[in-house]
Parts: sequence; structure tokens; C-alpha cells
Amino acid sequence: MSPSFGRGAMTNSWSDLQNAEAVLIGGSNCAENHPIAMHWINRAREKGAKVIVIDPRFTRTASKADIFAQIRPGTDIAYLGAIINYLLANKLYDAQYVLNYTNALLKVSPDFKFDAGLFSGFDPKTNKYGVDTWSYQLGPDKKPLKAETLDDPDTVFSKLKEHYSRYSFETAEKISGIPAAKIKTIADVLAKAKPATILYALGMTQHTTAVQGIRAYAVMQLLLGNIGKAGGGINALRGEPNVQGSTDMANLFNNLPGYLPAPISTDKTLRDYLVRNGSIQEKPLVALLKAWFGDQANKDNDWGFAFLPKLNPATNATMVKVFELMEKGQFKLLFNIGSNSLVSIPNRQLVRSALTKLDMMVISDLFEVETAQFWREPGVNPADIKTEVIMFPAAFIYEKDGSLTNSSRWIQWKDAAIKPLGEAKPDLDMLDALFKKVRRLYAGSTAAKDTPILKARWNYGEEPSALKVLQELNGYDETTGKLLPTLADYLKAPLGSVSTGCWIYAGVTGNGNLAARRGNTDPSGLGLFNNWSFAWPGNIRILYNRASCDVNGQPVDSKRKLIWWDSAKNLWVGNDGPDVVDKTKAPDTPEGKQAFRMNPEGVGRLFAAKYMSGLPQTPPADALPVIGIRPAGLCVDGPLPEFYEPIESPTVNLLHPKVSQNPAALVPSAFPDIQKRGKPENFPYVLTTYGIVEHFCAGGVTRNIPWLNELMPEPFVEISKNLAQKVGVKEGDKVEVSSARGKVTVYCLVTDRLQTYQVNGKDTETIGMPWSWGFASLSPGPSTNELTIAALDPGAGTPEYKVCLVNIRRA
Amino acid sequence: MDISRRGFLKLSGLSVVAVATGLGLNPEVVEAKGYALKIEGSKKIPSICHFCSGGCGMLLYVKDGKLIHLEGDPDHPTNAGTLCPKAASLRSVAYSSARVTKPKRRAPGAKDWEEISWDEALDRVAKKAKEVRDASWKASESIVNAKTGQSEVFEVNRAEGIAFLGSAEVDNEESYLISKFCRVLGIPYNEHQARI
Repeated sequence: MSPSFGRGAMTNSWSDLQNAEAVLIGGSNCAENHPIAMHWINRAREKGAKVIVIDPRFTRTASKADIFAQIRPGTDIAYLGAIINYLLANKLYDAQYVLNYTNALLKVSPDFKFDAGLFSGFDPKTNKYGVDTWSYQLGPDKKPLKAETLDDPDTVFSKLKEHYSRYSFETAEKISGIPAAKIKTIADVLAKAKPATILYALGMTQHTTAVQGIRAYAVMQLLLGNIGKAGGGINALRGEPNVQGSTDMANLFNNLPGYLPAPISTDKTLRDYLVRNGSIQEKPLVALLKAWFGDQANKDNDWGFAFLPKLNPATNATMVKVFELMEKGQFKLLFNIGSNSLVSIPNRQLVRSALTKLDMMVISDLFEVETAQFWREPGVNPADIKTEVIMFPAAFIYEKDGSLTNSSRWIQWKDAAIKPLGEAKPDLDMLDALFKKVRRLYAGSTAAKDTPILKARWNYGEEPSALKVLQELNGYDETTGKLLPTLADYLKAPLGSVSTGCWIYAGVTGNGNLAARRGNTDPSGLGLFNNWSFAWPGNIRILYNRASCDVNGQPVDSKRKLIWWDSAKNLWVGNDGPDVVDKTKAPDTPEGKQAFRMNPEGVGRLFAAKYMSGLPQTPPADALPVIGIRPAGLCVDGPLPEFYEPIESPTVNLLHPKVSQNPAALVPSAFPDIQKRGKPENFPYVLTTYGIVEHFCAGGVTRNIPWLNELMPEPFVEISKNLAQKVGVKEGDKVEVSSARGKVTVYCLVTDRLQTYQVNGKDTETIGMPWSWGFASLSPGPSTNELTIAALDPGAGTPEYKVCLVNIRRA
Repeated sequence: MDISRRGFLKLSGLSVVAVATGLGLNPEVVEAKGYALKIEGSKKIPSICHFCSGGCGMLLYVKDGKLIHLEGDPDHPTNAGTLCPKAASLRSVAYSSARVTKPKRRAPGAKDWEEISWDEALDRVAKKAKEVRDASWKASESIVNAKTGQSEVFEVNRAEGIAFLGSAEVDNEESYLISKFCRVLGIPYNEHQARI
């Protein structure tokens, strides 16, 4: 979403779903995996909203749908492309929105091409794209040229039209298995029902086309004018209790807290970093360095930029790649907190092998999850495994103070309710004690490499206080030592005079701990709940809400008024916090026009062009590389979403058979004995994996809760009645499911929830398996990730859990 | 007869009333008294669910330092008192016999764990962190400049031998300290389950 809108977060909130006139749920079984979503979707339904569910299975969510479409896993871009084509060809888009709030009118470089499945700039030697041709035509002011009309052949709009003209409903049917007439019905509902919202989860992201699938949603929603509005948006249902927060905090190799890009080797100085990333990153990075190093980061030492580790730009250390690097022997010490990779990583054989290459693994968890005891998995000889393992007993959520950020970006505080069990401690205490011990070991060192450890600002108390850490995230005025009252105070402070551990959290504790607020009134009736906890950024509840107004700054939907320009006060005001550059800038000013202020163009991006705003018109006199203001977010595999087959697919790509799969996808091949790839001749069926309401992710917690184990004791495979007949099994039989990588034996469920469908004229079968089991816990069971493939999306690094090829037979 | 699920629940409720009344009991009084006894004298502490990213509110009833009851927080705007089966089961984590309650060490090649103290566990980890950091330290590396074809040496300040996975399962403050701990030690290899 970040290349489209500027921020990679769910645009609206749980309680906003009630405002929708239509709800498209594609890639989420929220009735099971995010039950609270249904609470609000049902409210929308009661008011007449149409619910559309796209899923490979007739799920519990589908049972509440007005329209259900069974799709072949991994083919969403085919049917979405057909809807986009239909909206464009029949002028069913929101013309005012498209003209004013998207880059539709901007002119694309004549060097941009798309031919037979490849965008311009592809290098077959590296399987990577050079992105220079994915740019705009720039004027002498270095700004994109803007056409007079959408029909100008160079516009983004014209390129979009041309690109999707290949996607007919009939072609989409042949690829996805959804009948053409049904896709048209869905398109007609979405063209009329305004606003409409989209919900997705791992069903969209666990593909080698993850980012492009979400981009297809973004293109569709921008054309329909549904972003920035109550009841609209694209809602990424995040999978874990604090995955929004942990992403904000950058437990990611290529980021620093607050979505700052991580520095790379070639960034010798802060200036080099800004040449790549724009001057917009200067303030938050300096504020972060102040939070980490205090006075030791100052103007004279380039704000301590040298203290930060610099990544090799060629390194990909996304989650699954970490295990590849471990298998190669790079890592000797692994910390593993609240994560159960031995169950959760696809092609888990790699994890099992990689962990043996470590000297030491440090684990902190509530229970002895599978990863903690990998050295005694059945079939493994512990004597052969030389890895030392240290396990810390972790405190549970209600045994510690702290905050969690939910999918609606609400930072919610909770106090400890009881003491931790036994000798368990919060991870905060463990990390604090460990840092202090490490620092003591380095005491007195004068080596340059040890300076950051010795000079770090690290004072959260003898017994560390979570509130003190949250206050560091909020930030301080470094001259007075006072907490920054609001995000606006951070934004207007001079460079280097403020610190913040995560600039988007500024204001969370500025006027008391706002994350602990419990005001639950809702005067607007729109479910904004502005006085409940605190939403980043600056307590804005619905992102990009400037787009809910017309060019004059007045709400286009009188029933769902979020913000407006008050000409008497000369101020943006409203029911929600205005998501504008500057609240005092009128709607007709350059700042006041921007509906997507985090994008360098200030508009939503139908075409994800390479662009940096603020580049000088003439080369600077000092001849140094120039620094722009803000770079656009890019997709590494194309500026427009294109349909590609999954890496293991039962068929070839109808649109371009010679480039069947995403050419930039990362297909694992470093360890051929482990990372095998199957063919449809041997593995004719499509496996899709999923979660169920009774268990959570890798099951580390839920498989230790007897009540849930009684409800759902073990894994199973579900297949269609036709397939059951074909392979000669009936419900309750034990079956063996195998892929090129492994096999598991589970009970078989024969069901109407899956139906045989036609792909390119051929009968095709999807089979489904939940994945939450492993060899440990009160309720062990085989791990489905024995079967899955670790092919990765080239941008996000998400594995293709949702599609691999398997075979099935009676066990 | 067409009965919606909610209607069905109402009907079954009524039949319970009918049966109970037949026995000479007023079920509303019985239910209210039973409930009062269970939570009497306890303190209500709001908290947040620890499963999906809904961030639903829970109310914990704590008496004499013990968690005796857990239910949905009726004041929470997102879930208004409701909880899914997973959230509703969370009380059982507090006193589960399967919880790890002491630090443990598995020696290289060992078949089982041994219990160790917090201090010893932290000492072992801190020493190992220093040892691996020092041994795998990369102060600089040579990179070919794509434009000139010349290789150039850059300072990189990086510990190559340590990786840190975690975590979407911990609080913001913990997640942030993981991030800070890693970068201050020169470890860029911090990842977690947001990718998967």
C-alpha cells in the first residue's frame, strides 16, 4: 500500500467497517481469523451493505456473503484486472477523484514498455528490474508533466487502460475459475455501492505476487474514489496482536523505527543517506539518533550516523532468507523471541537444518515451543546437535505493563494485572538486563566499534519501566528535557533539538499517557472513537481523509463527514484529525490540495512511478550529488500489477506463456536437497493453507490451552467430493499428502466447501489444510509447512504459503 | 417456522426459565447470585487480547493477586464485551502447568534441559554475544561502484554473526528495545513474522 498511498498501514478501522455500502473480502477468512471484523461487517449488512467474498473455499466468512466466488489460489490479479478494465472501458470510475487525487493525468516516460509479460528494464542475468524507465516525463522544474485530458496517450490513465485491455471477464474466468458473469456482477456492485471497503489478510500476501495483488486493490479503490473515506479504504487485517507495532518499531532488517530506510554501506555520511532517501528523512533520523545516543549524537559528529550498522545493499535478510544465511553458516548466535519458526516457516526442513549450524540459540517464550526443542524433534539424535540453547521464561500479556498497536493503528496501553508466573519476566526486563551486562563486558574499551554500546542512551530505571520506553518513543525536547506534547511540536522543532524513538508515535504520551485513554463516546456516529487510546499519526483515525472532501474542502458524502475546511476559522476541522500537510492551508493551496501527502506527487499512485520531489532545477554549484525532498515508494516487480502464475502451478500463464511466473520472484535454490520444486505431472493438486478460529498461528499458545484443543484437536486435510471419489477415500480416512519437499499423514475431511473448477478448460482441484501444528505441546500434530514452498515475493519477502502442488493418497 | 440464530437463543433461554420456574427457582436471581459470588471482592483490570490484531478489550478480575475470571470489556469500542473462543480461553495461560517458569539451558549434545538461574543465563548470553560480535565484526567492506566500475571501501560497522527474530507477539516497548539493542550492537539482521 505504501507505493500507492504513502503509508503501509490499514487505512480505516474495525469500527469503521459499519459505514460501508459494500464489503469486498478477498484473501481473508475474517469470521475465523479476525472474528471482531464480522461484528462490524454484520452492522453494515444490517444497513443494507452487500458483502462479497472471494476465497478458494466456502469459508465461515463466505457463509455471510451476498456474493461468493470460489477462486483458484493465487489468481486474484486476473479477476481484479478484469474489473479494472471494465471500470475504465465503461467510464464507471469517479472522474473527479481520479483527476484530482490520483496521478492519472501525469505523463509517463516514452521509454516505459510492457511486452509479453516483462516490463522495461528487466535483467535476465539477475532476475531484477532496473526501474529508470518507470518514470514520468519531467518539466524544466523537475516536476511531472501534467496532460490536459485523461485521453492524452502519454498519461498514466492511458497506460492503465492499455495495460488492462487484455483482461476480459472471459480471460479472467479461464485463469481464476470464477465464472465471467459473476466477475461482472461483482464489478457492477462495486461501481454503484459507494463507499466500498476491502478486507484482506494473508490470503493476498502469501504469494510471489503479494505486493502487486494489493496494488491491484489500490488501483481499483482509487478509480472508485474509495480511499480516505469512512466506509472505504483497504483494510489489511494484520495477523498478530502487535504486528502493526513491531513493524512500526522496525523489527525488519531494511528499516529503522518509523519506516526510515536502513542505511547501506555506500552511505558514508548522513548526506549520502539523504541523497538516496530525500531530505524528508533527515529530521526523523536525527531525532532517532538523539533518542539512541543523546548528546553523543550532535552536529559535529554527523549526528552519530557512523554509529549505525550499514547493510550491504545486495543482502536480502528477510525472515526466510535469515534461515538460508544461517544454513550457510553466517550466524552463530540467534535470538528468538515470541516466534516459532520450526512450525511457521515454509519448507521447514531448512529451519530444522539451519538451527543445528548455530553455536547458541536464545529463546524467550511462554511455552516450550517446537523451535525451543528442535534438538529433540522425533527422529533427531540430540547428541548430534551441538547448539547450546538458553530459554528464558517470558511473562504473558497481562503480567506486564505496556502497549500494543492494533490493526486500526490504535496504540492501546494496559497495566500489569497479576505478577508473572514463577520466575517469568517481561521481555523488557530481559533485554534491559542483557544490554546492561553486555555494556559491562565492554567497559573501558576504546575500540571504535564499541563506542555505540558505551555511549548509548539507555536509562529506563533499575527495574525497567515500559512507560519510560513509550515516552522515549513519544520523544523529548532535548533542550528542556520535556516530553513533546504533540506530533506538531515534533514537526516544527529545529533539527537536532528533539529526540524521538519512533516519530510517528509523537504525541502518544505528550499530555499524559493517551494510549491509556478510555473515552468511548462517538459523537459523529461514524465509529471514530477519537478519545479511546491514541492512533498514529497524530490521532488520525482514517488515513488520507482529505480525499473525503471535494476540491473546495467540503465533504462529498453528507452522511459520512470526516473533515472539512472551515473558511471562517481558516482551518481544517472535523470529526477526525485532518490528514493534511498543514491545517491552516486552504484547499486550493498546493499544500491543501494534497490528499496523499506522504507521496512525493501529493496524490494516490495508479502507476507506481520512480520519482523524487524537490530536485533542484539547475545543478548545484558545489557539484555534490543533489538531495531531493521525498522519494516515491517503488514496487520492485513493476509499476502496474500484472497477473503471474504461482511458482508451483497446475497450468501456464494464459496472458504470456513464456513469462508464466513473476520474473523477479525469489525462487529458493541455494540448497537443492531441501528446496525442491514440484511439477504438475507428479503433484497434480493445488494446496492452500489457512488458519482456523480455535488455534493461532504456529499454535505455540493455543495448543497449550486444553479448552481449544478439545474444540480442534488435530490438523486435517479437506478435499472436494469429486477428488475423494477419484482417489478412493472417504471422510475420516487417514491420507498422506505429499509435495516435492515432504509428506504428512492426517485425517481427511470430504466437503462441499471445495468444488472442482475449470482452469483453462481443465478440471482442477484445490485442497486445503490448516497449519497450526507441530511435534510439541499438549496437542501435537504434523506440520503442514513440511509441504509448502519458500518462494518469496521479491519486494516484501512473503512466502507463497497459499499455493503449492501436492498429491494425496490413502495412508 | 423460521427461527434466526438470535431468536433461537432467546427461545432456548425462555425454556430454561420455564424449567427453572417449574422447580420453584427464579433463575435470574440464581444467576445473579452465582455470578456475584464468583467475582465478589475482586478488582477489575482492563487489558488487551493477545491473538489477532483486533485489539479487543478484556476485563480481568483479580482477587488476592490471582486472576479468577476473564471476560470481554463492555466499554471497549471495538468488541463491546464480546470475545472469540481464543480470547475467552486466555485465563488458562496464567496458571498453565505447561508454562516455562524458570530459565533453562540445553548444553551442546545434551538430551535434556537443566535449570539455571536468571543471572547465569544472562551471563552466558552476554558473553556469547560479545564473543560472536567481536569474532564476526566487519568494520569495512569493498563495494563496486555501479557507475564507475571501481571498487571502493566503505565503513559498515556491522556484526555479521548474530541474528535476532522478534517479535509481533510482544509489546511496543519490547519490540522497540529489540530494535535498539540490535542496532546499537551493530546487528542489522533483525527480522520477525510480519514478513510471513
